[in-house]
Amino acid sequence: MSLTAFIQILLLGLALGGIYALMAIGLSLTFGVMRILNLAHGAFMILAAYLAFWLFVRYRLDPLLSIPFMMGTLFAIGIILYRILFSRLAGRADYTHLTILLTFSLALILEGLMGYLWTGIYRAANPPYAARSYSFGPWYIPAGQLYAALTSLILLSILWLILYRTRFGRAVRATMQNRIAAQIVGVDVNGVSMITFGLGLALAGASGSLLSFLFPFFPSRHWQWIAILLALVVFGGLGSLPGTVMGAFTLAVISAYATTLAGPTWSSALFYLALFLTLLVRPQGLLGKGEAP
Amino acid sequence: MALLRIEAIRAGYGHGPDILNGLSLELEPNRIYCVIGPNGAGKSTLLRVIMGLLRPRAGRVWFNKEDITGLRPDQIVARGISYVPQDRSLFPDMTVWENLLMGGYLMRDPRALSRRVEEILELFPVLRKHRSRRAGLLSGGEQQMLAIGRALILRPALLLLDEPSLGLAPLVVEQVFEIIRQLKAMSLTVLLVEQNVRKGLECADWGYVLDQGCLRFEGPAKAILEEPRLVVTYFGQRRGHP
Repeated sequence: MSLTAFIQILLLGLALGGIYALMAIGLSLTFGVMRILNLAHGAFMILAAYLAFWLFVRYRLDPLLSIPFMMGTLFAIGIILYRILFSRLAGRADYTHLTILLTFSLALILEGLMGYLWTGIYRAANPPYAARSYSFGPWYIPAGQLYAALTSLILLSILWLILYRTRFGRAVRATMQNRIAAQIVGVDVNGVSMITFGLGLALAGASGSLLSFLFPFFPSRHWQWIAILLALVVFGGLGSLPGTVMGAFTLAVISAYATTLAGPTWSSALFYLALFLTLLVRPQGLLGKGEAP
Repeated sequence: MALLRIEAIRAGYGHGPDILNGLSLELEPNRIYCVIGPNGAGKSTLLRVIMGLLRPRAGRVWFNKEDITGLRPDQIVARGISYVPQDRSLFPDMTVWENLLMGGYLMRDPRALSRRVEEILELFPVLRKHRSRRAGLLSGGEQQMLAIGRALILRPALLLLDEPSLGLAPLVVEQVFEIIRQLKAMSLTVLLVEQNVRKGLECADWGYVLDQGCLRFEGPAKAILEEPRLVVTYFGQRRGHP
């Protein structure tokens, strides 16, 4: 492989990594703060993708511009779901197990609902930039991927500022590190959990807007997405946000090279092989800390 | 007037049996109380109930004439009760300094908070030395100091201490109890749960003997220390004698 091709693939891999990171960070955040493994995260992404798609088709609203609306809507859905479904399970010893069952059934319900409303046809929004690409020197990057990656970086930076520069962020990080400790210094962990769950779904909403023009989708497509996202999160270390971002970039780049060198069939195989090998050597993931307290 | 009043508390975990069986007690301000009793007597459970981490099945908790039963832990902290659990519950990835700042999470004024953190660093020079070190990397004794320091940031009226000497070297245990004695001078009330019966009672004014969730005996700490029957019944050997 020439150096030019090498850099080209790295470029595409990094753009994909940025998008993966945004998709996975909500999942990681929800697990880190509440020990909820949200198997419906992918389904909410697809739901947001449909909403973005219809807003684009009906009202010509650019999917990138629908992001704030999508985040707001999914945030509200998250708050309501948390209040109705999750808060009453809080404090139970088998909490995480129950949330897996709960979010699994939530994913099934969403899938059925979307199939009923919008059939199983492949959809993809095609804003003007979906077919364009930028080239500089010998290299190129599709405009859609570039915009999506930049959007992801902006949103991840905002999230970082919230987590490390605000009082709410301190409460979130404290709750992630030690729930009891957070409670006894005066953090309302239930309130923090509710808002964080909403935030996790808001991030799924933003991801869905990007997904709507980057990848074709249909209702049951969320299983494939949740498999990828879980792999990223586990690879980076469950409950570690920097780990999730690193895992997203690493695995995206690996699968980009695999696609070019061995063909797309091998891409996902190598993706999971990389995960498998990493977990053999480092069961807690790249930046994980072993058994969570 | 009592600072804290516990009225006929029954409490337990999940669907399990009652750990506390109608326990009642009262704490006066500016005293050190030590709760002793065998394993499973309900000592830690008592602290968890006061702190709002475990909702009692029956009974009331009064603090400063206010009924605080069923309030959330963050609401109870705001009313002036601080708690140092057995495992110290620090934030392992935060520095000593950040842990102390978290202790003042409820304070809105950052400058006042910085001043409080400085006061605590005066009180615990060892923490000042390690202020930029991650809490997870401290020694057991240093972690205990940090946990107590963090609990003092809000200047609570009542401090709940669960087994502060657990797992510490004898010399460090001595330091921890020295600090507890100093707390009294700061007009604090301390409710101390301790396995190290002699050490605990020696620094306390009043002792409670808990067994199977009930109060078996209470009295001046000195009197309990000098009551061989109690010591033999509840603690097997006379501990702490040379």
